[in-house]
This record gives sequence, structure tokens and C-alpha cells, in this order.
Amino acid sequence: MAEPEFRSSVTTLAATPAGAPALTDESPLTKVSVRARVGASPLGVDFTRAARRDGVLICGIRPDEWLLLGGEGEVEALLAAAEFDASVNRIDITHSRLCLRLTGVRSASALEKVCSLDFGDMMFPDGATGSASVAKVSSDLVRDDIAGEPSYLLLADRSFGQYLYDAIHDATTEFADSL
Amino acid sequence: MIRRLEPQSGEVIDRETPLKFTWNSKKYVGYAGDTIASALLANNQQVFSRSMKYHRPRGVLTADYWDPNTTVQVGTEPNVRGAHRLLEADMKVSAQNAWPSLDLDVKAANGLFGRFLTAGFYYKTFIKPQRLWPLYEKVLARFAPGGVVDLNTPHGYHDKRYAHPDVVVAGGGPAGLAAAISAAKAGMSVMLVEQNHHLGGHLRWGTDQDRETADDLEAAARDAGVEILTDSAVTGRYDDNWIAISQRDHPGVVERLIKARAKTLVVAAGLVERPYVFSGNDLPGVMLSGAVRRLINMYAVRPGNHAVVLTANAEGDAAVADLERVGVEVARVVDARAGETISKATGSSKQLGSVTLADGSTVKADLLVTAAGWTAPTSLLNMSGDRPSYDPAAARFFPTALPDNVIATGGLVGDGSLDELIAHGISSGELAAQRAAAVKHRLRSTVTRAQNPKGPEPPVQQDRRIGLSRAPHPELYRSDTHGMVDFSEDVSSKDLVNAAAEGFDSVELVKRFTTATMGPSQGKLETVNTVAVLAEARGETIEEVGTTVWRPPYAPISLGALAGRVFEPVRVSSLHEWHTANNMTPILAGQWIRPEHYGDPGAEVANVRTNVGIIDVTPLGKLDLRGPDVPKLLNLLYTNKWSKLPIGRVRYGMMCAEDGVVLDDGVTGRLGEDHYLMTTTSSGAGQIWQWVEMWLQTEHPDWEVHVTPVTTGFTSINIAGPKSRELLMRLVDDVDLSAEAFEYMNVRTGTIAGVPDCFMWRIGFTGELSFEVHVPAGFGLHVWEQLIERGADLGVGPFGLEAQRIMRLEKGHFIVGQDTDGLTKAPTTGLRALIKLDKDDFAGKPELEWALGPEAPELPVLVAITPTDPRLVPDEACQILREGTTEIVGRITSSRFSPSLQRSICLGQVTPEFAAAGTMLTVRLCDGSDTTARVMEHHAHFDPEGVRLRG
Repeated sequence: MAEPEFRSSVTTLAATPAGAPALTDESPLTKVSVRARVGASPLGVDFTRAARRDGVLICGIRPDEWLLLGGEGEVEALLAAAEFDASVNRIDITHSRLCLRLTGVRSASALEKVCSLDFGDMMFPDGATGSASVAKVSSDLVRDDIAGEPSYLLLADRSFGQYLYDAIHDATTEFADSL
Repeated sequence: MIRRLEPQSGEVIDRETPLKFTWNSKKYVGYAGDTIASALLANNQQVFSRSMKYHRPRGVLTADYWDPNTTVQVGTEPNVRGAHRLLEADMKVSAQNAWPSLDLDVKAANGLFGRFLTAGFYYKTFIKPQRLWPLYEKVLARFAPGGVVDLNTPHGYHDKRYAHPDVVVAGGGPAGLAAAISAAKAGMSVMLVEQNHHLGGHLRWGTDQDRETADDLEAAARDAGVEILTDSAVTGRYDDNWIAISQRDHPGVVERLIKARAKTLVVAAGLVERPYVFSGNDLPGVMLSGAVRRLINMYAVRPGNHAVVLTANAEGDAAVADLERVGVEVARVVDARAGETISKATGSSKQLGSVTLADGSTVKADLLVTAAGWTAPTSLLNMSGDRPSYDPAAARFFPTALPDNVIATGGLVGDGSLDELIAHGISSGELAAQRAAAVKHRLRSTVTRAQNPKGPEPPVQQDRRIGLSRAPHPELYRSDTHGMVDFSEDVSSKDLVNAAAEGFDSVELVKRFTTATMGPSQGKLETVNTVAVLAEARGETIEEVGTTVWRPPYAPISLGALAGRVFEPVRVSSLHEWHTANNMTPILAGQWIRPEHYGDPGAEVANVRTNVGIIDVTPLGKLDLRGPDVPKLLNLLYTNKWSKLPIGRVRYGMMCAEDGVVLDDGVTGRLGEDHYLMTTTSSGAGQIWQWVEMWLQTEHPDWEVHVTPVTTGFTSINIAGPKSRELLMRLVDDVDLSAEAFEYMNVRTGTIAGVPDCFMWRIGFTGELSFEVHVPAGFGLHVWEQLIERGADLGVGPFGLEAQRIMRLEKGHFIVGQDTDGLTKAPTTGLRALIKLDKDDFAGKPELEWALGPEAPELPVLVAITPTDPRLVPDEACQILREGTTEIVGRITSSRFSPSLQRSICLGQVTPEFAAAGTMLTVRLCDGSDTTARVMEHHAHFDPEGVRLRG
């Protein structure tokens, strides 16, 4: 029997034009939702903030929900080490959520074409999270800069994968060098 | 180009780049940088259009964006502003609103009846007799103004962008540029929006020193990092400085709408020169002073040869100087400041011939230039809540009170030297920056994700700018003759006087009755003259008459830009590519693209009944429920009881809204001690998630339940048919799938085709032995392909929604929303046993208690129906009638031809009187004929005992 192979919902990738923000598919990342009572802080990260710990990005995406992103082993290790009380639940949503990453100096400008949030450095700094409509799809956004370069993670329902990828990629093409 | 002047120091044309174009099919040449109008005028073309109502020939009036007389057709694009749109190579330009040609327009006959075509003519004439309106409509449509819309026009690419600049500056003249620079230097992000193709405003058609200043300001703005948009307009200002910007200078995009949320808005819209009203003021050759100066200094075009200039201000004086400098004979300067004026202009149909002055003398001229004053385009200020007031000494309106986040500068607020205007702009930019900083501080303090600022919020800065003075200007609105007030709408001062005489005493009503100020320039040229003429007619002051309210848009915006990019999200399952590659006929179900069938739904049904079929049911709503209080939640949402559901068991439930109407249904399984998986209908997935969260967050926040939507986290596959167990057993090792170990309405967790953590349910919608499996979606395609591959010898095949619909109808399962509607209460479904009124509470219980009580009217009943003619399938929604009458006693809710039973089958709702098994019904078909049908004993037409299902 063939071995199971994870398949992303983004099935067709497009080339990134030179100079345009790079859009990559990070859907295979392990994603675990940690739910707790409103007001609790089981992972020490506040709502609307994200922090990296032991290779895992911990994102406060709702007042009672934290999203853990990372390699399978890293996420498992972090959860194993965490001391949660009985009211905390953890739900693996690796397969539920699409995860795209948009990186580049003009990535905020590209997002401005599909989302109404203010992505300015003051309002959406590195380590910030937000939820909004992106190209009419309810999405979570996390600013996770890479070596000082602006980078945004976008998480949305898996079934919108190819649609969202195409919509955001289209928004980036304006920033290619040739234009 | 016989009117082209020698090179001018401020010209914006590129004489090295000639451009060929056609005008009404004749070939001409202009230069890059020319507008359509300047290129045509350079080629001695004076008439550009015919007026809307009287079809009078019209020439250049303002030579800028607001010119009402130069609207042309360019290729397939109608209503192009010819005095603004830049010339392009091979442009095909033609006149509109004229037939058969611009020179010979038979509709000009309207002018002969002009005295009858006054304001209100159409309202009054064509109201009766009403029966002739269709005829009137056809005739009037032929006289409708405007260009030709080509339905085959390719759609241009439109775009949309959200922006959050600290400061938006509307207007790129000296004051606007200075404001943008000073705000940017104060650390603000600034977006400067200019309507014209060049920054600098009136400096562009001024002296060399003016242009040098404009260049310096533009360079400084770019150095300061100001984002500059030209050929763009702030079209509206809404609450909280939500600002709409139409941008037309973006590469590769026809037009895009920028939705900007600015912290402060600086309005530096400048001033718009207004025409003077006198007889013949719309003859080709009558121009405003600004038009003359733009044509000479920017486009190097001679506007005429023999000129009369009426001047009331410095701009008129400058026009005289420009004309004389380029060799135009200025036959007479009429100085309005000295009380002089003109009375009328006369000429041929194509050209001004002479000008009659107030003293009765006549001067031959082919050019009459008027400099009669200014309109302050206060639209954006009006949209901010301001009601500008009229100052008779300056002969224009000025702003009165603005909110803190809107600041006006430049000509809108006063006059002064260039230095004074720039100084006012600088202080306005500084004020805008200070106020924006306070707003930023507040936003960064309240938005938790933002970088929190240090220190207390700075107070709102008071306006301590040194104001601009108001230069005195004669009130010059109408001479002793009547003339055109609204050139776009062909409304004369006589029309306004007549409207006043008819009793229209409100300026807003006069506007709507006469249509004055309702044309494309939206009052920029006409408003003040309209108010002045009305004031004169009523013997009141302009202040007493007041003005109409300027509303968005400030400048026209295309429908394409308003639509922006079209986002239409679509959802697909992880099996979509397989479906597409395997002959799927798709159907759009909400946002989902799903397989309706794979070629032959009847054969798909037969295969499920005989062998085994698999269907992709991923859109089925799935909610992961965790916590000790989940049973409380289920008891609240469902009508039946959930407190004692054992682990590993599945139960069907029906949800009602507060009014007892069926909201949704589905099964929920208990996976662990405090862990449940709820399924909903596919169409109800989003709604039920909200419903659940609403109850938890608003009514029972104390309950410990976490709800997580996992609809697409699992690829859901129903394996149905007598061989379904055998097929699934080939892929599952760690779960005993035997009938004894895995009974109907149970759930197990196990590994399918090497994929762990799959849920397997013994349930089904088709009436066959079936297993619904939920596989982690990233491995969904793997499991589906394994089912196809490993079941080949069992005859496995995919089936689509249509086959499933047929089989569920054969089995008598109802669909919420199909067999129920917004009035269907739970008892109608026949599932009375699931309504547990002895529970403490559940959503809809009070209403259902009443509905099932003795005082309530009897509810309709859902029944299975079989037509007498087995080949006849009544359409869904066909009415059921009391025999021999037209009384409606029910309707068909679902109908299909059953391949399994070889006869038509239906579900329907009927009144209780007709619900008993064996009752004969009359069904009115869509063609109006009647047929008969019989009520069945069970909902299930097929296998009513459920032997196959429980096999």
C-alpha cells in the first residue's frame, strides 16, 4: 500500500516575479489550537501577540485561543512540557487550516490590496496577530519577520487554499521589478 | 497644427513625440502631453460637442477637468473628458450627442423650440396619457445625451487598495504641496492627491518663476517621502475620515479605488473659475481666463486671433498679458472693477463673431475671455459637516466650522501672495501632523497589537494659523441679458427665473426641477451662478437663498472602480482534483464546488444498491466539542436528550430556533469522556457554529465547552452499499468492523490505509449499509484513491450529490431547507418522538409546547407520496389541491424518479386532513394540468424496515 503523503490544499504554485513579495505555502506545519478560559494565559502570550519559543510560534489569535505553529516534534515537546489545568483543551488543526507566508519589503503593501487592516509597523509590528477578511475569506494574520524582513503568516480554512493563494499572489505581482 | 504657437517655456507637450489620431474619422497629429482638446484646437477644430438639450455647438470653455463642452467618445469609451484625457497614439476620437454629424446635427432643431423646452417640459408633457408612455420612452431614448456604450467593450482591470496614511492632502497646488511637505517632515505618512496630471495648480500656467516654485515644491515633496497620486481625486469624505480616492495613474490599472482611513484630511482644492452669464456665453470662442492661460502656457495653442477680455481680477489681467505676448490682438479689455461689462456675444453656429458691450458698442472678435470670479469647491468640507457661508465682498463662499480632523487651506479659505499661500499650507500641514499624532497615539494605545506609545496622549492642537485675507472681488453673475448657467445640462438663467416664478422657492427644489448643477461637473462651475440668479429672481441675497448640499462623489468615478477587484471565494475539498480528472459534472453549493454526478446518476444509484459507492461529503459541517459541559450544550440545542450518550455511540438530533422552526439536523458522536464531534448539514455549517457560540458566549459563558470548527480538517467520505464493509475492512486493521462489534449508530477511531486518527461512523443517508469516514484532510486523497484501487474487484465507483439525493428520497430522509422551510416546526417532520418536552429547557421548547397543545392550529405533516402515473415526476413545489377545488392543501417538497423502484417518488407537506396513508391527492402540475397521487404509509419508499441499513 502506498504511504500516506500530506497534500496541501494549494495544488498549483506560481513563480514569484523578481522584486515582488514571495508567497509560500507552509500548510504542512503542525498547528495546534490551545483553548482556555477567557482571561487565562496558559502559554504566557497575550491575545494579539505572538512569540517564538523552542522553535514553536505561539500566537494569541483570540482571547481564549492560542495557535501553536511549528514542526510536529517541537510542538509536541512544547505541549508535553506545558502544565495546563483541566480546563485547557488542545485540538490539532493541522489539517483544518491553510498556512501561507508572505515575505518581502512590500508585503504589507500587497496585503493592503486584499485586507483592510493597517499593516504599518506601528500598528502591526513584528509579533502582532490579527483577524480580518482577506479577499473575503475570514483569516488570521501573524507578523513573523525573518531576519528583519517583513513576513506575514496567513491562516484560513483549508478549503479556500487555492483561491486565497491565487488572490494574494495576484496582489503581489504589482510590486515586481518590471512594473 | 496651424494654431500651435512657438515653444513656450512652460509647455508640457513633447514636440519630439508626435501622435497621430483621428477626430470624426479625419486624421490629425498632436504631441505627447497634449489633451485631446488642446490637440484638436491646435488643429483649428473649435467645435467639440453639441449641447445636451438644444444641441448647440460647443467649444472649449475651461480647458481642464471640469470643461463641460469637450466630452467625447474615444473608441468604445463614451463620455471621455477631452480637456483632461491625454492624447495617445492612434486614438479614435469622435463627437457624441450629434446626428448625423457634429457639423450637421438635425437634433439642433430642438433649439427652434427652445422656448417650449424650458425646465419641467418633459415632466409636464409626457405624464399623460399614461398608456402612451412606452411610445414616449422609445422616442425620448433617441434624444438621450451621451456617448455610445459598446456591449462588447473589453473590461479593463480595476483594482482596490486599503490605505492608512496619517495625512491625506486633497489638492496639489502650492498650499497643498506645502502642507504635504510640512506634515511629512513632521514624521507623518502623507498621501497627496491631485486631480490634474501635473502638480503645482495654477503655478503651472503662470510665470517662469511660478513654475520654478512648483518644481521646487514637487521635488521637496518627493524628498520628504510624500506618496503622490496625480490624475486622481478624493471623491468622498465620510465619518471618521474614511476617504475614497479614485486613482487613475496606477500602472496597468484603468482605475482603482483607494479606501483610505486618514488621521487628518487637508483640503486644498483651490478655486474653480466660474463663467459669466450673458446671451451667447456658450458660443465656441467664449472661454474663461484660466482656459486661455492653460492653452497658451501649457499646450502652446493660440486660443483665437482677435480677443475681447472681460476681467474682474488678476487672472484676467494675466490672460491679457499672455494673449498679447503670443501675438493675439486684444481688441478690448472690459474692466469689471471699473463697472464695465459686456451684454451679449453673437456669431455663427461655429464661431463667435462679435461682442456687444454694456454701452451698446460692438467689437468684432473670435475670442471672448471672461474672468468673472471663483467658486470655492467646498464639497469635501460639506461632506465633513461644514455649511460654507457667502461673503459678498469677496463674491464667494468660505468654510465656517470644521471637525478637528479636517483642515482647509489655500484658495478655499482666502487669498494672498504665493508666499502667503505657501506659508498657510505649511502651518496647515504642521497642524494636520500634530492632530494626526494625537489620533495615532490614541490608536496605538487602544489597539492591543500595536506598539504602545510612551507618555500621555497629546492634546488636540488649537488652530493658531495666521489666516489668509479675502481679496475684494466684484459680484459678477449675470449681465443685462440671459445666458447659459449650466452648460452640461443646458439650463439657462431664464429657466431658473421661470422656476422661481412657478413657485420653486427652495434652491434644492430648483436644482431638481431644472437639473441645474446636476451634470458631470456637479456644480463646480454652476452652483454660485445658479444661486445668484435665483436670488435675483426672488429679490433675496445669496446668503438667504443658500446653496445645495454637495455630496459624494466630488468627481465622477467609474462603476468599474467602485466594483474594484471581484473576489468570489470558492471552496473545494481535498478530492477536487480527482473529481475534475474523473468526469465530474460540478454543481455550486453555496461556496462549494461539488460533484453533482460523474456522467450517469442513475447508474451510480444502481451501483450503490448492488455493489459499493463512495461519495465526497467533506462540506458536511463538523464541530469539535470539548469540555465537561458538552451534554448541557447538546441538551440545549437539540430537541432530544443527550445526557447519557455512551462513548462510542452516535445519536441523531434535530435543532430548532426559538420559534420551534427546524433549524438544522445531524448526528453527534461521543469520542471520549469530554470529547464529542457534532455534524451539521453542509449548508448549515457556518450558521450552526455561530448559533452554538451565541448560546455559549451570551447565555452560558460559565459552561466549560470549547467549540472548534473542523469541517475541512477532515475529508469526509461515505462508503455505501452491500459491499461497503468488505471494502473498508481491506483498509482498516485496528478496528473490528463486523456487524456485531460495530453496530449501527456507533463511532470508532482508527487507521485507514495507513492514516491514523480517522473517525468511522456507522451511519448513512442512502439507506444502504454504509460507513462515513472522516480522514485528516491532508491524507484525504490518499484514502480515496486507496478505496478506488482496493475496491476495484468489488465494483466500487464514485457517486455524486444527485445519486445521493435520489437514494435519500427513496429512503424517505428529509433535508432541512428542502422538505422544511422557514415555517416548518419540528412536529411536521414526523419525528415527534425526538421532541422531549420533559427536558428542563431547549431552544424552541416554549413554542413547541404551545404548538403541540390543544389551542394551537394543527401543523402540516410531511408525508411520502407516490403519483398514480409511475412515470410522472411532479416538479418540486407543485401544489397539492383539495379535489375539485383550487384550495391549496399542501405541496411537493422533493421528487425524483427512483431507479431502484422504477417509479416516481415524492415527499410533500400536507394538511393533517390529507396525511393518512392511502389518501388520494390532487397535484397541480406546472403546465396547469392535474394528476393524482397517493399518500404512503412510511416516509421510506425503499426498505422501510431498514434491513439493508442495519446489515
